[in-house]
Amino acid sequence: MTLASLTSPDGYFEDFEPGQVIRHARGKTVEALENVLITNLVMNTAQGHFNEHAMQASRFGRRITFGGVTASLVIGLAAQDTAEQALAELGLDKIRFAAPVFHGDTLYAYTEVLDKAESERIDAGIVRFRHWGVNQDDKIVFEGERATLIKRRQPWADR
Amino acid sequence: MAHDFALRAKLKARGNRYEDFEIGRTFDHHWGRTITAGDNMLFTTLTLHYNPLYFNLDYARAHGHPDLVVNPMLVFSIVFGLSVEDLSEGGGAFLGVEELSFHQPVYPSETLTARSIVLSKRPSASDASVGIVTWHTQGFNGKSEQVVDFKRTNLINKRSASR
Repeated sequence: MTLASLTSPDGYFEDFEPGQVIRHARGKTVEALENVLITNLVMNTAQGHFNEHAMQASRFGRRITFGGVTASLVIGLAAQDTAEQALAELGLDKIRFAAPVFHGDTLYAYTEVLDKAESERIDAGIVRFRHWGVNQDDKIVFEGERATLIKRRQPWADR
Repeated sequence: MAHDFALRAKLKARGNRYEDFEIGRTFDHHWGRTITAGDNMLFTTLTLHYNPLYFNLDYARAHGHPDLVVNPMLVFSIVFGLSVEDLSEGGGAFLGVEELSFHQPVYPSETLTARSIVLSKRPSASDASVGIVTWHTQGFNGKSEQVVDFKRTNLINKRSASR
């Protein structure tokens, strides 16, 4: 078993072209399993994410999903295609939550390759992506940029 | 018919309001949080984040890491979570994050703490009951090294609008 055989044959630095847009293969329905579990796991104390009774009296009428969960799921849905060969996540920027996400909503992810740059390492380069998350009605719920240090084929595809 | 104890109880409120956020005010957030291998595995698999650095120990070691790498989105979410009571539990939508940097890897058994400073505040043009506040939040490991930092902006209820 080689290292490279554990991951996809693509997704290396050379495989990304600025302007390329990817529709990722899978969606995920957000339930309490994701929202309440992760909200509580990371000790986000805002009960709007986990007190259904209190939220019935709000303008939303029900619990809303923590933005950190929405962001993590959308980036997760994009991860096999944009992070599987990542050596490190460098940063995020321009993160926006355009609409609330409720339990039962299904999220899908899209990614545009913004640009590519050399890094301090000869075996990897920096790729900047823009990600979008949309719900089952095609409404944008998440948008943001992400910079990632991604392996070059040489030497990584042969290891 | 109200319970006797409920009639005697006073609400122990949590969270701050718009008026509490003077520019430059700093918050050393409560608790800290040790990240376990279980946290990382659960979070990474639940969010479908298929980079083996976060869930295949042999793979992580082959890349020079001493242990599994903690998923950076979990690092961000925990640092954010620790900041919520001080910053945003007082209500209002989470609008966005700018200029987030991951500074170094985090490994299981490391303990994260969080600190924030108020960067800016302004009243909402469309809703007199809320304001818009931006903070700079930093997350640290047990050696007080910065592992993540970001700017976060929220709508925040004014005290007069508190429920």
